[in-house]
Amino acid sequence: MKKLLSLFLMGLLVFVLAACTANENAGNETEQPDGEDTETAEKVLYLNNGQEPTSFDPPIGFDSVSWQALNNLMEGLTRLGKNHEPEAAIAEDWDLSDDGKTYTFHIRENAKWSNGDDVTAGDFVFAWKRLLNPETGSPAAFLGYFIEGGEAFNNGEGSADDVAVKAVDEKTFEVTLISPQEYFLSVITNPAFFPVNEKVAAENPEWFSEAETFVGNGPFNLAEWEHDSHFLMEKNDQYWDAENVKLDKVHWAMVDDTNTEYQMFQAGDLDTSDVPADLSEQLFGEGKVEVVDQAGDYFYRFNVTKEPFQNENIRKAFAMAVDQQQIVDFVTKGQEKPAYGFVSYGFTDPSGNDFRETAGDLVKTDAEEAKKLLAQGMEEEGYDTLPEVTLTYSTSDAHKKIAETLQQMFKDNLGVEVQLANMEWNVFAEEQSALKFQLSRSSFLADYADPINFLENFQTGHSMNRTGWSNAEYDQLIQNAKNESDEAARYDMMYEAEKILMDEMPIIPIHFYNQVFMQNESVSDIVRHPVGYMELKWADKN
Amino acid sequence: MAKYILKRLIAMVITLWFIITLTFFLMHSIPGSPFNEERATSEAVQENLEKFYQLDQPLIVQYGNYLKSVVTFDFGPSIKKSSQTVNEMLGRGFPISFELGIITLIVAVISGITLGVIAALRHNGFIDYLAMTIAVLGISIPNFVLATMLIQQLAVNFPIFPVATWSSTMHMVLPTFALATGPMAIIARLTRSSMLEVLTQDYIRTAKAKGLSPVKIIFKHALRNALLPVVTILGSLAASILTGTFVIEKIFAIPGMGKYFVESINQRDYPVIMGTTVFYSSILIIMLFLVDIAYGILDPRIKLHKKEGI
Repeated sequence: MKKLLSLFLMGLLVFVLAACTANENAGNETEQPDGEDTETAEKVLYLNNGQEPTSFDPPIGFDSVSWQALNNLMEGLTRLGKNHEPEAAIAEDWDLSDDGKTYTFHIRENAKWSNGDDVTAGDFVFAWKRLLNPETGSPAAFLGYFIEGGEAFNNGEGSADDVAVKAVDEKTFEVTLISPQEYFLSVITNPAFFPVNEKVAAENPEWFSEAETFVGNGPFNLAEWEHDSHFLMEKNDQYWDAENVKLDKVHWAMVDDTNTEYQMFQAGDLDTSDVPADLSEQLFGEGKVEVVDQAGDYFYRFNVTKEPFQNENIRKAFAMAVDQQQIVDFVTKGQEKPAYGFVSYGFTDPSGNDFRETAGDLVKTDAEEAKKLLAQGMEEEGYDTLPEVTLTYSTSDAHKKIAETLQQMFKDNLGVEVQLANMEWNVFAEEQSALKFQLSRSSFLADYADPINFLENFQTGHSMNRTGWSNAEYDQLIQNAKNESDEAARYDMMYEAEKILMDEMPIIPIHFYNQVFMQNESVSDIVRHPVGYMELKWADKN
Repeated sequence: MAKYILKRLIAMVITLWFIITLTFFLMHSIPGSPFNEERATSEAVQENLEKFYQLDQPLIVQYGNYLKSVVTFDFGPSIKKSSQTVNEMLGRGFPISFELGIITLIVAVISGITLGVIAALRHNGFIDYLAMTIAVLGISIPNFVLATMLIQQLAVNFPIFPVATWSSTMHMVLPTFALATGPMAIIARLTRSSMLEVLTQDYIRTAKAKGLSPVKIIFKHALRNALLPVVTILGSLAASILTGTFVIEKIFAIPGMGKYFVESINQRDYPVIMGTTVFYSSILIIMLFLVDIAYGILDPRIKLHKKEGI
């Protein structure tokens, strides 16, 4: 008995010691080849969704954990192509009225639901009215405000009948917008605008909750969904373009820990992985990480209703004291592009130039100029000493690092001691909207692919404004741009608007977002859009 | 006995009601909302969402509605995972957390008591120091560090076990080990110290004088009394392990209910906060009740109620 027990103890000790010593090599191992799948003919892609999708009900699942999958399970009138431009999808083609407001979509004859039903214009009418119906409680409803009667229906002033969507016949769908909007075709690639099979929804209002009852119309079908654990997609034979879909299955795990995700990737259990923050530098150094753009900004908001940031020169001084290049090189270290304007890269104007490159750097790092502006601003306000400034961020290591760097930069470049404060994200979000901070962290990810989506945020009273900043000329430019059908003129207005924004400086742009990931070498053609979601339609695995 | 149990049951219901009320109002008093977004939204959209989840009603009405539904064991729909109800989430997550938890408990109790007893018997000897070193390590190494280390060594570098997820017996080994180490260490230390105390008692000397075999002395006389403190902590330990742990479930991607405790609060998913709290409290209260019953069995001197006592 005693001998046995001591044997057990010794075994345990050896085990613990072995684990400790071996740990020094951690991370240096090369990744394992994905042996299991190469033997079988079936092409199965292993991905990680991180978490349980919020919902596969198109107007409800308005977040990336739902979109990544939903975008491959269903399809709207248009779909973003490999070059990130909207292409014909369920709609074969479309006509645009002369005033640029009425779109007539012709739905493919062979567009089918996974249960064999035809995809009809009625399914779109049903889905889009449901998106706007206040009783649906869709967080995406505001995207439908482009449609005539959409906003009124959603805020309870209008009715469903006044929403300008109609089925001209079985396969012809017509929608009238409040103003001409060329980017409408890209807006409707968002899952919120996916059709819903009206017959299925009438029989079972909860059709989207389980794999057994899910009816889609996309490249893949939902074959299995074990909530909070995993789900499985299978190629959809009913899909109109099924011959171009190469994968047989896509298995999605729900691993909410980046380290574990990376370890599963190393072990060959996953085909792609995020980059764990601690290993980021090393993995970047080894050249294992791929980087693609993402349309969005990491930025800071001034509160122009609180001292001392009611003063434009003081705001500018703080903005110029920030060295964006240093932050991306030495703090975030994820190969982000530094932001010297608010609209991100990747939007091409009618003359073929990139918006960001054309607009140029609208804020510069310049400590000398910053000091001058600060002195000037303080004089304008009659300050002998600058009122105390607190910089607030939502609790997270990544935000903390940037906040501390900013604190240092303000000290070095301006000679201003800024206090730091952080709070839990949810409280932070509430207080920021209520304009309770002086200077606070923020981020923006574009909902649709057009510079106007960036710029409309800073209209007076917009839910994303959160700075208290208001400029009548700016508001007018945004409204005009929204009503302009001539693309060149529209872009000119947007260039001008961004200039006003960056001239009055209610924000400090820090960097543009990107998507960093590692991917199994045998996997090809997963398309990651700067705005939107992972596209598996063309993906292949050998 | 029956009277005692009935009394306890009534007390349990009152405790639960108290917990529900306190949690409900605390939860609504913290700032934030389930619909806060970093992204743009519109006022109409926010209002529609509040209406949809009946959060626009006065708090006291919401409280009343909640009490009504709790009585029928209906915890309502989740706000954040809108196609699921809290009942579904708990119904799915709890069996998995329970499975992992019960194995962990068995491993922790058996190895903890064994370590503790051996250490006490070899007091101040090499084995004692060794056992206590292991125990101190077990207490001081956080389980998420241990978990990450185990995965790196035994799943990635030497692929003996799967990295994560939950589908076979092999998947259970690493999380069980990571989860059991802490409790095992606590139990080992407790067992050792109370064992040392018990071993100096007169009745042990008597047993020795009677010429009983050492095995009989340890198991029949010493251990039985030494286990009382262990049983005491076992109640709350069981409740927390059986309902899942956030960190371990997150690291090993185990679809248990542990994550709901933390995520629901971050997201202000009110029905899930309430559901997990009520569920956890019920388990805890039941466990504490079982512990009290176990006292009586282990040590007949402890009477469950005063009247029938001496």
